[in-house]
Amino acid sequence: MTEFRSIFHAELNQLEVLLLDMAKLAEGQINQAVDALLSGDARLARQVVEQDRNIDQLYVEVERRWHEVMARQTPVASDLRLMSLILQAGHSLERMGDQASNIAKIVEATSGLPTNQTILLHIQEMRSIVVPMIDTAMEALVKRDLNLAMRLPELDDPADWLNRNMWKEVAACASDPDLLEWAIHMMLVSRALERVGDRAVDIGEQVAFLLTGEQHEFPEGWVPTPRPA
Amino acid sequence: MTTVGATDLSEGMSLDLNLPVGTKAEADSGPAAMETLYLNVFYGGFRAIKDADLSFADKQITALIGPSGCGKSTLLRTLNRMNDLVPGARVEGEVRFQGQNIFDSAVDPVELRRRVGMVFQKPNPFPKSIYQNVAWGARINGFKENLDDLVEHSLVQAALWDEVKDKLDESGYSLSGGQQQRLCIARAIAVKPEIILMDEPTSALDPVATLRIEELIQDLKVNYTIIIVTHNMQQAARASDHTVFINMDSNRAGYVVESGATGTLFTKPVRQETEDYITGRFG
Repeated sequence: MTEFRSIFHAELNQLEVLLLDMAKLAEGQINQAVDALLSGDARLARQVVEQDRNIDQLYVEVERRWHEVMARQTPVASDLRLMSLILQAGHSLERMGDQASNIAKIVEATSGLPTNQTILLHIQEMRSIVVPMIDTAMEALVKRDLNLAMRLPELDDPADWLNRNMWKEVAACASDPDLLEWAIHMMLVSRALERVGDRAVDIGEQVAFLLTGEQHEFPEGWVPTPRPA
Repeated sequence: MTTVGATDLSEGMSLDLNLPVGTKAEADSGPAAMETLYLNVFYGGFRAIKDADLSFADKQITALIGPSGCGKSTLLRTLNRMNDLVPGARVEGEVRFQGQNIFDSAVDPVELRRRVGMVFQKPNPFPKSIYQNVAWGARINGFKENLDDLVEHSLVQAALWDEVKDKLDESGYSLSGGQQQRLCIARAIAVKPEIILMDEPTSALDPVATLRIEELIQDLKVNYTIIIVTHNMQQAARASDHTVFINMDSNRAGYVVESGATGTLFTKPVRQETEDYITGRFG
């Protein structure tokens, strides 16, 4: 195939690379934030908060380039859908970074309070679900893999279930006011991780839209129309 | 000086935006291939260009945009003295190329046009073979080296070689419109210019041929400074490094409204007049 818009398409590739960089940072931040929570490592937690600006800076760079490409290159068809994906996925990844920062701030807020092992295990389990989802979403983008993108909602289900049921563990801590205070904060951590999973699903939906041009959301039972080769 | 070059006019320069148009303002700039200093161009009593004060960055692509009749083509044709051929045409101010005003009596306009080549709106191959179209300019300029090599090199640079290498003896007219335009670019390249002026080089071409020429222009800027007039704002946005917006005053004299990095001009123009034009609120 002859390439007539090589500079434009190189710019699109560079934007995708920036998204991948953001995803790597977001994964690292979430892992470190949860590590800090599990170990009570306040120094690590502060580091996570400070490092959030690295993702923010990448997102600002994505936005800056995005505007320039839109203004100069008038993308159409799949290029236009990719531009839509880049902006929305960039926003999702930036928000994941914010969630990591929120978790890290909770480490400081709960310093010295008693903890509950069952709740920590739930949080660890949620982390082990949602962080690989970021990888899956980005892999679906890189490989342009619709089936992989469509798997994200089912990968997210256990995280949603754990989040919905976290209140029961928190309620079990009600007899000890200090423990209850800590546990209520853990509901916020659970919610933050659940949102990370949701954001990964959002990226998967954008990938599906990129590939099919049909849907912005994964509706129940949706079967994409095959596109002509 | 309003600088078309490495300077982004919206970022960190001391340009007083309320200065009258044409007033000098200092700006950082990369090396300039060509500059205009208070350039005014007249056709008889009509002033077509008013106080154009520009600097065209070396080995970069500069697009001239603006409404019909604003003087874009007049400005372009002044840069290699094509307007000398128009009865009643007169110039005030300077166009500096390699440190010399191109209107100095010592400057040979034919030699100037060799060094500052022109590609026109409609492909205009000579009624000769593809080979002769490319070789002709070099031959009359006394080219003494291997003509075959020059023809091949020029056609390669114009991204046409693969399509014509087996039919160099066929007429230039046998080619498609887009191929003819690339042949004209090869012809311009063959005389080893430093600057190539392009006057709406794709307006007679279909979209695919247009994109092909735009890609070619990107490749050519490695070796040449390119100044292109285009009616197509999207083309200026896609294909240029720097953009000059020219408008016309109530007397229909063209003046430079704004110039700067294309990315900035199309996302965050400095002047409201530019914003209005590129967003289609002109007139």
